[in-house]
Amino acid sequence: MRTKFGVLVAALGLFCVVAPAVAHHGFDTEYDANKKFKHEGVVKAVLWTNPHMRVHVDVTQGGKTVTYNMEITSPNSVQRQGWGRNSLLPGEKVVFEGYGGKVDETRGSLLSIAKLDAPNKPLFVQGGPEAVQQGFPGAR
Amino acid sequence: MKEVIGVFMTIAVLSLALLAQLQAQGGVSQIQVGGSPTVPDNLVTSQPIPRLPDGHVDITGPWVGGGSNGDIERDGGLKPGELPLLPWAKELRDKRLEKDEPYTACLPMSVPRVNPYPWKFALSYTAKGLSHIYVLHETGDAGAHRVVYMDGRPHPPDPIPTWWGHSTGRFEKDTLVIDTIGYNDKFWFDSRGTPHTEQLHTVERWTRINWGRITNDFLLDDPGAFSRPVNLKFQGRLLRPDLKTGGGELMEFICLEGNEYGAAAGFVPGQGTSIK
Repeated sequence: MRTKFGVLVAALGLFCVVAPAVAHHGFDTEYDANKKFKHEGVVKAVLWTNPHMRVHVDVTQGGKTVTYNMEITSPNSVQRQGWGRNSLLPGEKVVFEGYGGKVDETRGSLLSIAKLDAPNKPLFVQGGPEAVQQGFPGAR
Repeated sequence: MKEVIGVFMTIAVLSLALLAQLQAQGGVSQIQVGGSPTVPDNLVTSQPIPRLPDGHVDITGPWVGGGSNGDIERDGGLKPGELPLLPWAKELRDKRLEKDEPYTACLPMSVPRVNPYPWKFALSYTAKGLSHIYVLHETGDAGAHRVVYMDGRPHPPDPIPTWWGHSTGRFEKDTLVIDTIGYNDKFWFDSRGTPHTEQLHTVERWTRINWGRITNDFLLDDPGAFSRPVNLKFQGRLLRPDLKTGGGELMEFICLEGNEYGAAAGFVPGQGTSIK
């Protein structure tokens, strides 16, 4: 079952790279396409909140722990894509990519996230600025 | 020139390969409308159009799409510049910033806007028959519902402007026709900031053209902001009804629960509710 789930999320992830999801709001009003980052960290919290879920990840930088507050799509959307309560849990080591906020770089738009022991099987891949380039309704 | 053709052909082949791959994956291409999986194009006629006991086509849904979102001009099938906005309205649209759209502060989208999440027509029957249709959106409406009166009542003579206005409906054969006046001027037609006035009058003509699709032939008439009435066309997609994707049902969505939009960029969202 978990293998099937993994295949599903990987397929969804692969697709999202080329045809990213449309969000509740646009990307470039809040985030900076030039502030792309990739970090490893430990999941601190997964907030199943509306209108967007948030994933908080603790990242060690220069001897300090920095908590990244990453935005993803809605709880309903990820459930319809196969997520359940145990898809991503606090304490799990992850590698994630995202774009930083225009003012607060630790508030980011999550581009992708995968467990550290399976970095090539993303649990989630968001569009980021590529969604704007695709020209999908609502992506601007 | 040969290089250009070669690049074009390569892109075309890759696109077709991607499309085939997506089809093989069971229609995940619907992710592009906000992660709400809808019936793929190759299955829209796989079942007959359902009918209700009273003979009406069942237009319940839930549907995804069927209105404007990013740009009403583009989404409605017009070319750039074809939307007949009056100069002041065009100037206002061009001046508006997306961060100020009321929708981002969880205020209603209103008509004809839909976001990437599902919505449905909820038909309400009483002893007198179909008396009301409630339009329910999974999100974007801050918990409100839109009422369409189906009992033959007229519009009130001078309604107080509201976010959803006053709607009356009727069936013309298999098409649900909704006539609405009494809108306020606070909502935007799209993220682009296309405005309107309280003179707005809309006529929606909803037709379920097959099992998987519904069309919205939309008349927008607002002499306060447009030089003439304009017809727009939208299409909604049926939410996939299988249990794997949530059973084809609307789900709970409380927009104000944790709206952090703007915090990363240091602004307060949704400040553009006035055309003044």
